[in-house]
Amino acid sequence: MKKGLAFLFILLAVFVLAACTANESAGEEDQDTGDQTEATDEGTSDEADNGGNKVLRLNNGVEPTSFDPPEGFDAASWQSLNNLMEGLTRLGQDHQPEAATAESWDISDDGLEYTFHIRDNAKWSNGDDVTADDFVYAWTRLLDPEEGFSSAFLGYFIKGGEAFNSGEGSADDLGLEAVDEKTFKVTLEAPTGFFLNVISNPAFFPVNKAVAEENPEWYAEADTFVANGPFKLSEWNHDSDFTMVKNDQYWDKDTVKLDEVHWAMVNEVNTEYQMFQSGDLDTSEIPADLAEDLLDSDQVVIDPQAGTQFYRFNVNKEPFQNVKIRKALAMAVNQDEIVEYVTKKGEKPARGFVSYGFEDPSGNDFRETNGDLVEYDPEQAKELLKEGMEEEGYDELPPITLTYNTSDDNKKIAETVQQRFQQDLGIEITLENAEWNVFLQDQKDLKHQLSRSSFLADYGDPINFLESFVTDSSMNRTGWSNQEYDDLIAQAKEEADEEKRWELMYNAEKVLFEEMPIVPVNFYNQVFLHKDNVSGIVRHPVGYMELKWADKN
Amino acid sequence: MLRYIAKRFLIMLVTILIIVTLTFILMHAIPGSPFNQERGTSEAVQANLEAHYHLDEPMYIQYLLYLKSIVTFDFGPSIKQPTSTVNDLLGRGFPISLELGLVSVIVAIISGILLGIIAALRHNKIIDYAAMAIAVLGISIPNFILATQLIQSFAVTWQILPAATWSSPKHMILPVIALATGPMAIIARLTRSSMLEVLTQDYIKMARAKGLSPYKIVFKHALKNALMPVVTILGTLLAGILTGTFVLEKIFAIPGMGKYFVESINNRDYPVIMGTTVFYSAFLIVMLFLVDIAYGILDPRIKLHKKEAE
Repeated sequence: MKKGLAFLFILLAVFVLAACTANESAGEEDQDTGDQTEATDEGTSDEADNGGNKVLRLNNGVEPTSFDPPEGFDAASWQSLNNLMEGLTRLGQDHQPEAATAESWDISDDGLEYTFHIRDNAKWSNGDDVTADDFVYAWTRLLDPEEGFSSAFLGYFIKGGEAFNSGEGSADDLGLEAVDEKTFKVTLEAPTGFFLNVISNPAFFPVNKAVAEENPEWYAEADTFVANGPFKLSEWNHDSDFTMVKNDQYWDKDTVKLDEVHWAMVNEVNTEYQMFQSGDLDTSEIPADLAEDLLDSDQVVIDPQAGTQFYRFNVNKEPFQNVKIRKALAMAVNQDEIVEYVTKKGEKPARGFVSYGFEDPSGNDFRETNGDLVEYDPEQAKELLKEGMEEEGYDELPPITLTYNTSDDNKKIAETVQQRFQQDLGIEITLENAEWNVFLQDQKDLKHQLSRSSFLADYGDPINFLESFVTDSSMNRTGWSNQEYDDLIAQAKEEADEEKRWELMYNAEKVLFEEMPIVPVNFYNQVFLHKDNVSGIVRHPVGYMELKWADKN
Repeated sequence: MLRYIAKRFLIMLVTILIIVTLTFILMHAIPGSPFNQERGTSEAVQANLEAHYHLDEPMYIQYLLYLKSIVTFDFGPSIKQPTSTVNDLLGRGFPISLELGLVSVIVAIISGILLGIIAALRHNKIIDYAAMAIAVLGISIPNFILATQLIQSFAVTWQILPAATWSSPKHMILPVIALATGPMAIIARLTRSSMLEVLTQDYIKMARAKGLSPYKIVFKHALKNALMPVVTILGTLLAGILTGTFVLEKIFAIPGMGKYFVESINNRDYPVIMGTTVFYSAFLIVMLFLVDIAYGILDPRIKLHKKEAE
């Protein structure tokens, strides 16, 4: 008995000791008033501390995958990495590549050789010069098959890049050369008119060779991280938050207005919005349920994103081997209805695959020039369906299943499509959802009949969209293969003349829609709430943001 | 006692081996791969990635590699967060989950037991009904709804507490309330019913007859026996709460380890799945073991080595 009592007392003692911090909450009701005063006190002192400094409070959602430039190949890493480091070019406020670490460049007449002149005052945050060697080192690493970077394919534009990455070539054959300390020469496989745009991607950031060779994990912690961008990393509490401060070694530091950017990692949009309301964050995404109410608020900033939501037909499965049946269904998808009543975030309906925002050499927008390649037209859809069924000898259409990865939005869109098919064409389709990873696997294995998809551009050129559907591309996932289309894309990739290259791409997209292996639904948007005192945040359509020009008053 | 512990320890090892094997089979049985993305990846890139993580090896080699990683407790790098090893993730996340969990459990136990005792002593009176109403509410309101409501009231409307994140004791208050309410309600109900039972027993009548103070009767004689059912659920409760809760950690943006249980499976992040499974099962088994020991201390009639004979 006594032993038992002793045990209980020890337990209690441990509780009390361990609960030093708990006491605040243990007597919830009694101590509420005490907490209140404490909370307000601290609230005001926080503000006082930041009085002189411009501190922007943002949310990164999750822990950045990696700050190793080629490894962090996703939005969670790009958001901040793009502001910590800088490649040869940087996308400007108009989303076009501008001189950055390189102050100028020469392009050979055949468009194959790029010679970059790196700024004399381009420095690393530890004071080292940014050299041509740093670029050779970083870009070779990007393509090294041993490293297994998923961003490596972006380096395939470089001569010998694909061969090296597939384990056939060697690093010595890469078209990368440090002519002298500040001159970096790149030879390409083919003239690539948009190369200056591609290399603004974080995968092409330089790496301080001296630092990386001494500490291969230099990017893993704040105190070993060397930056060459507008900001440098000052603190990184993994999985919790990180802070970057203005980089006084940056060549263009006078442009940078913010002193500090604090990134929280809140992976729940309702909480993010609540923190925005309570003043803990300066920007926030919009919770889906509130989209309709908040979209008209003057704190909302909408930027286009280069990306398309669409459905894929599997042309290997009945009845989608027939192009007329594919077209009939495509014409029964009402894009306007979906963006207006279902997605409701001000998206533009998609009537082609390439999104808005890409200008050809004469300054015309790709999407506007190539026009609406598929339009909602129930009458013609009915006609085409009839013809298609006759061609195939169907009395009745084989059963159709539309598969999407599990999410409320995807479900609502799929239901809208299902209803249109039923009302306009008299077709009953079955809806099916699957967990994300299972869904992707099945889609790659061509197990679906009709399935939901999205495409987000990696760099700012229509070819990035269009090359998805060449035969056997890992992004094709429709079983569709067309010689004319493959030829057009191959020619576009070789073409040095920009006018002709764009013509080839225009034609390629038209071929795609004559064959209709996909149905576009909408182009994506980046919708954010900004506090009134925040200005100058630039969000590029390719998915990364710039804080170089951002300000907070 | 020592022999009993040694034997239990062996059984624990076997249990963990079975859990690990089942997890391995299950996680490779679900379709998908850690490298599946919406964006297409070239075959060369895909092959390089698989080779990098030994996923191109035959299954039995991968299984042996996993067993090795468990024995050495070195699960290697996470696939989703390649700059961190699984040990890093657990090392960072567990202390935070533990801190939140421990405080919540303590709050839940103390308030739950008090609520239970008060309800039992005032059986069928207003206070009993009120206490049990609180308990029913606590059980029936899911903690994520409670959490969202707490943030809305305390952080957005009244602005007296921070909404989320994990940086000061103040940030702890809302998550602890949200996390403790459910277990508190369960403990309160258990305590109340077993107290009611114990209070009618002869030895309590005897104590009353002896003229002991009600305070002494409750705390010295009744409570100890009434706590047995509470101790029983404590093992699973502790293991569940202390290793983190996915939903609450997500809502409050708490960098604990709860998210790895769920996200590692969504990402098919094999090393993290194995790491979290081994960690959780080992933790749970140890907790259950401690509960068994606690029985013996609380009630000397339960002899551990007799169990062994069974």
